[in-house]
Amino acid sequence: MGHSITLRGNYVDLRPLEEADAEMTLRWRLSQRARMLTSGAATVEEQAAWIRSRPASEYNWVIALKDGTPVGMLSLIGVNEVMRHAETARFLIGEEDKVKGVPAAVEAMKLLYEYAFDTLKLARLYGNVASGNSLMVKWQIYLGMKQEGRMRDHYIFDGAFQDAIILGLLESEYRNESLPRMKALIDMARKADNVPEGVRV
Amino acid sequence: MISRDEVLAVIYAAMESLNEELDEGSKIAVAADTKLFGADAVIDSLSLVSIIIDVESGASDAFGFPVVLTDDRAINEPVSPFTSPDALADYMLILAAENE
Repeated sequence: MGHSITLRGNYVDLRPLEEADAEMTLRWRLSQRARMLTSGAATVEEQAAWIRSRPASEYNWVIALKDGTPVGMLSLIGVNEVMRHAETARFLIGEEDKVKGVPAAVEAMKLLYEYAFDTLKLARLYGNVASGNSLMVKWQIYLGMKQEGRMRDHYIFDGAFQDAIILGLLESEYRNESLPRMKALIDMARKADNVPEGVRV
Repeated sequence: MISRDEVLAVIYAAMESLNEELDEGSKIAVAADTKLFGADAVIDSLSLVSIIIDVESGASDAFGFPVVLTDDRAINEPVSPFTSPDALADYMLILAAENE
């Protein structure tokens, strides 16, 4: 069964994914926005069973605004503390309208990176994104991930093959590239909202 | 000397490129007062990053000097450059003037 780790930011928190989230997360997973994620459960019962069966090597979070409103999900899976690596996965903003103007995605990923590199002391994160999901590929690379490879025709979405772009991030890249850019984007959102430093929104 | 219209053309090209990626119902108005970040913004941070990347790349190509939009300088501007294309153009014109 899942972990009990909650990570707190200024704009969002990452709280553990619970069985009670099954209906909401299934709705997100079946939405048009999630069409380039690998398919999973088809019913609420299957989604609940999937949540129940998450292994100890996974951290599955719901991204929630500071008022508790759930807006997406994000996972750190395949955590290997011997090899000091893990995979970022299942990243999905399910409530797009609720995060307009809010650095929810950036801060959620920052919280995950901090946990992976600072708390779990991992040395490397990796993941893959469907080549057709170009916004996500651009976003991940801008925030520090490096393209390490490409698996040709790895996915089939809407009846058409897509490559998988393999991405990786080392700890030094996280500290030197990801963290400054993530902080800058979060600070700029704060400035755009005229929120003083140190004040939670 | 780089004109405001030239800078806005780069920003608008980035917004149009974003629109090509967005679903029909999510496309944004390519206009000087479109709210990009903060309260009442029309895009999320995934889309904002796409605009930043394309503006940095497009401006560097068009104007011949590196443009970085997420550094300390941008953060410390009194008005966030990402409030709107208008504000972003103001900031980029400052950068351009410093590079002339």
